[in-house]
Amino acid sequence: MSKNPSNLKNIDRLIHEPTRLMIMTQLYVVESADFLFLQHQLQMTPGNLSSHLSKLEEAGYVEIVKEFIERKPHTALELTKKGRKAFREYQQNLKQVFSDLPK
Amino acid sequence: MNKTTSLKEVEKRTYMSYHQDGLLDIFVGVYVLLFALGILLMTVTDFSTWFVIPAIFPAIMVPIWVSAKKQITMPRIGYVKFRSRGANRLMAVFLGLMVSGLGAFAVFTFASSQGWALTLRNLIISNGMIIIGIGAAAISSLFAYTMGLKRLYAYGLLTLALFFTGQFITIPFEYFLLTIGLVIIINGSVLLMQFIRKYPLPQGDEVNVEKPL
Repeated sequence: MSKNPSNLKNIDRLIHEPTRLMIMTQLYVVESADFLFLQHQLQMTPGNLSSHLSKLEEAGYVEIVKEFIERKPHTALELTKKGRKAFREYQQNLKQVFSDLPK
Repeated sequence: MNKTTSLKEVEKRTYMSYHQDGLLDIFVGVYVLLFALGILLMTVTDFSTWFVIPAIFPAIMVPIWVSAKKQITMPRIGYVKFRSRGANRLMAVFLGLMVSGLGAFAVFTFASSQGWALTLRNLIISNGMIIIGIGAAAISSLFAYTMGLKRLYAYGLLTLALFFTGQFITIPFEYFLLTIGLVIIINGSVLLMQFIRKYPLPQGDEVNVEKPL
């Protein structure tokens, strides 16, 4: 490991939080998903999921489209270009941190 | 930490989760069953147009499948759109199968005038059931691997076992297909019932459980 672990500073803390990391990972492997699918997939409560999604939306990582389909509310979610780029960078930085560790 | 594998696992888990409803199995089973019935009716009644039904089934299957997904799956577990990478992979599998089929057809045609190929053709004909079984098992395994659906391996294995048996006992080919189709439909129906029980439809306002974002 480098004496000054500067790579750790590059880790995106917004993504690094476990729940948000799960959300980002799930959205990264698909093109889009709706709120219900994400909730089932990640086994999260609606309140918890929406609070984390709000943070990711504020950062411009997730696009949230609220619409009505057959008079029922529907929330479509997808990673923005910025979100995908941030996730890839997060992957790279984390990989770097671990590869810098002594064996 | 192997993130590539981990992301692939998440992707496969998502696929599995979306296809846990058994609808895919039911449609594949119905297709195999129609195929078997087509052959059976053709041999019994000499009414060759019956064979057209399994041929046009894929064209009518897609809208029905989409509609079933909308009515049964999406209200229960939500909607997901997969990335085109996955669809491209499936398309590559389809294309690979088509090219292999055309290649086999070419070899088969060429066989009529060539000694070595003629021997190969005779070998294929005399071991037809085993070869079809191996082919079906390979196709099933390919789709199982691509889609991450392990039960497709089991279908492949069942097909191989039945067709291998069929090589040595004199039961018409279509009865084996009927059995395979029925087994797949039954398994799909069991999965569908389990899915409906596991994910009941949200009642009344529960549909709107999403908190304002």
